[in-house]
Formats: sequence, C-alpha cells, structure tokens
Amino acid sequence: MSKKPVRVRYYRFKNRLKEKAAGIGSDSKEIQAIDPEALARAEAALEQMAEDYPDWVKSIIDKLAAEHRRAVDTPHERRPIFERIRRIAHDMKGQGGTFGYPLITDFASSLHDFAGPNVGMTDNHVEIIKAHIDSMRVVINERIEGDGGQNGQMLKKGLQQAIEKYTRMK
Amino acid sequence: MAGLDLERMSVLVVEDSPFIRSLLINSLKILGVGKVVTKDHGGEAIEFIKLVHSDPMKAGLMTIDIIMSNWDMSPVDGMMLLRWVRRHKDSPDRYKPFVMITAYSEPNRVTEARDMGVTEFLTKPFTINAIAEKLTSIILHPRQFVHTKDYFGPDRRRQNLPFDGENRRKLTEESDEVEVIRV
Repeated sequence: MSKKPVRVRYYRFKNRLKEKAAGIGSDSKEIQAIDPEALARAEAALEQMAEDYPDWVKSIIDKLAAEHRRAVDTPHERRPIFERIRRIAHDMKGQGGTFGYPLITDFASSLHDFAGPNVGMTDNHVEIIKAHIDSMRVVINERIEGDGGQNGQMLKKGLQQAIEKYTRMK
Repeated sequence: MAGLDLERMSVLVVEDSPFIRSLLINSLKILGVGKVVTKDHGGEAIEFIKLVHSDPMKAGLMTIDIIMSNWDMSPVDGMMLLRWVRRHKDSPDRYKPFVMITAYSEPNRVTEARDMGVTEFLTKPFTINAIAEKLTSIILHPRQFVHTKDYFGPDRRRQNLPFDGENRRKLTEESDEVEVIRV
C-alpha cells in the first residue's frame, strides 16, 4: 500500500535564541527569566518617561485642535480631517492608562468613535469633536490623574452633556 | 537562577508613534537588549528586513532576532507586515518571532492575527512586565511551526488540555500524513 500524501508538517527548531541569551560561559539549561533587577530598573525608567507624558499629550492635543480648526474652515475637507483625528485618537487611547491618565484614554476612545466613518460630519459633529479636545485639555492642564475623583466625574458628565446636546441638534 | 542575557539579541521595532517608539526602545534597552532598530511602518520594515538579508554590512545588522510591530499604521500596517514575513517568497525567514502590539483586543482581531501566524500579542497600554514576559516566552518556550493547507505559523495549540467529547484529532505524529522536520 502506498503512503498517503503529507498534509501536516511540523517544523521543530534547535533553540538558537536561548543559546544566544545564555551569555558567555553559562549553561543555557539554567537560565529561566529576565533578571529581576533589570526588570525593576526598566520599570523605574518607564516611570521616568511617564513624567514627560503630559507634555507629549499637550502637543498632540494642539495637533487635534489644529485639525478641528481645519474642519471648521474647510467643511469639504472633513472626511480626511476626521480620518486624521481618528488616527491620533487611536494612538492616544493606547497609552493614557499606562501613564496614570485613564481619563485621556476614555476621552480619546470616545473621540475615536465619534470621528468614525459612519457617524456623520455635520457642524454638530465638529462641535462634538471640539468638546472632546477641550475635555482632554482640562485633564492635562489640571493634571487630573486616575479617575480624577469629583473633578473627573464632572468632566465626564460635561462631555456627555455636550455630546447629547449636539446629537439632539442633528 | 541566572537571568536572560539579551546583549546579543537584536529587535526590530515597527511603530509610527514617536512617543511609543521611544518608550519601546528604552524599555528594551533597559531590559538589556543589545540592539534595537526602529522603522516607522511596515513598508520600511520590509525593506530593512530584505537589506539585512542581502547586505548585512550596509544594514549594520547581521540578523533580526525578534520583530515587534504595531498593528495600526499606514500605509503598510502590522498585519500586512506579518503576512509578508510569514508568506511572501522574498521573506528571508518565515519563522521569525513576531510580536503584534495593539490597542485592539476584540476576539475577532486576535483570531485574525493568530491565524496569520503571530507569535505573541502585546496589548496597549503595555507594562515592562508584559514586554519581559513576551520576550521570555519567545526565547525559552518557542513553539513548533505548523504547515497545513490553511495555516502556516507557530503551533496555535499551546497546551495539551483535556477535552470532552469525541476525539476528532485524527492525525498523530506517526500518521503517514504527518511529517516532522527538525531544523
């Protein structure tokens, strides 16, 4: 009887990365993880970088504000402008939480949704975009970290009210 | 317990956001990764991967050990890069460990990348521990590659878990239809 044709191939490799990571003269069987001290140093460095985060976000919010102005001035350009706003928002929402600003993540996430292709591009939508940008600016200028307690709740509520107001006006 | 020595490792980081890029570079460097090269999007990464293969002197790098790529970039995004690495005829190493960095964690997006042969996911916002975990898993517990008519990539079955019902796993390593290749 002839053999059936091969349908599955498993490729098993010699672990060269592990050999590479064992360091000179040490036994690759013994290595188990990244040195905890290196981890602690890296964590500290990330915290250091986190201190620059508000400045970075500020520059991004300025970019968003510039896009918003363009959306007001050149209504026929709104499709690509909204697309750019959406991309920026996507980027912001990924990192806010890491640096202690979950409100930035929340607002950026909402902005990302409102700048989406199926939401609309009327003047009221442009106002909703602006309300998001304003809210984020307050978070950064006032350094509202974490959930922001009462101030954070007020900001969230304010944005929600603005969204509802302009949504009703459609 | 000896720690991993990443001094001889080289990682290609593909990320369009300057802030996140510098964050990743610094995190990797402090974890001890010897060489970190960054590219702005998938297209640049593909050119660089080809250059490393064809002219390592000019590329300034002999090999790329691990690729870490953002998903959402333009014009060439992380999924397109992953597809190229795993499937394109010009790809010099289709088995390259590939970490997808993403703010998307919807199950269907995860499945999409897994079925394209992603090695690990790094979800934004990421932590140092998460990066270290992915590197450790890639270096210490690499998975075999599976090649079928529908799939090419690291074995999607990470564990052999017990299951209820009929055993529909017809093929075993002893079957004629299965070939084990040791590289």
